[in-house]
Amino acid sequence: MSDQAVVAVYSFVRNMVGLVTKPYETYRTIVNHGSLWEILPLSLLVSSYLIIASLVKTATFRPYMLTKHFIVLALAVGTMYGLVVGLVWIIGKMVGGKGNLRGVVLGWAYTLVPTVCWFLATSLLYMVIPPPRTDRPLGMLFSLLFLFFSSVLFFWKLVLSYLTLRFSLKIDLFRIVIISIVTIPVVVLYSVGMYRLGIFKIPFV
Amino acid sequence: MKNNNKQAFLNRWQETTDIPPQTIGPITPVYKELTKRLKTMPFPVFVVLSIVIVGVLLYVLGPSITSYVTLLQRGF
Repeated sequence: MSDQAVVAVYSFVRNMVGLVTKPYETYRTIVNHGSLWEILPLSLLVSSYLIIASLVKTATFRPYMLTKHFIVLALAVGTMYGLVVGLVWIIGKMVGGKGNLRGVVLGWAYTLVPTVCWFLATSLLYMVIPPPRTDRPLGMLFSLLFLFFSSVLFFWKLVLSYLTLRFSLKIDLFRIVIISIVTIPVVVLYSVGMYRLGIFKIPFV
Repeated sequence: MKNNNKQAFLNRWQETTDIPPQTIGPITPVYKELTKRLKTMPFPVFVVLSIVIVGVLLYVLGPSITSYVTLLQRGF
């Protein structure tokens, strides 16, 4: 078991580099040869963000409040992940996808890397340079840089999501568009629910 | 050794040809040209696209862009 965990951590680090330098080849490797153990370091990464978010959002250092906040965020993230993977898998099969569920589970887990990067950076910036932004030169400069950074991560996420569907379900662009058309409204509805409950204002997809 | 190399090559070949190439009618060459740049080190493309998007947003929204960033900053 410990050997598998060590191999998974090594694969995770190698894949993280690959997601930046060679996403196409890396995703093929993840889907075909990846181990479900790799979800462990990914979960730790997401959990680290959730701990930081709980600390930032809960103004006071009260263990009960922090734990409650962490559990709520973790449940919301877990449900969103399960919802997306489930929908992609079911609709993927309906449109003639040939892959396996393990590929979708692993592939989509790796798409959370840009998401975590954005949320982590945003929560840290919230502490260092808290909003609101003004329209003075420095405020404008920060706004442009923040939008630029968000946009780069968004495109990265988009490419990784496409590769997840392409390799894990072995489907073409047309079927990927169909899956997206069905999945996106459900994710939007869930996100509106999360917004109304005050859990996430931006969906943690 | 020779057999191992051959088997590795065959496995790799099968993996590569497992998914049929993507074609989208007459614009297939354009699609191939675009996606070619995204397969290895796609960040220069993301950077260029993001600069264009931020430029367009700045042109359309003007100074009120800061209020949208404020919303995003509170979005986590």
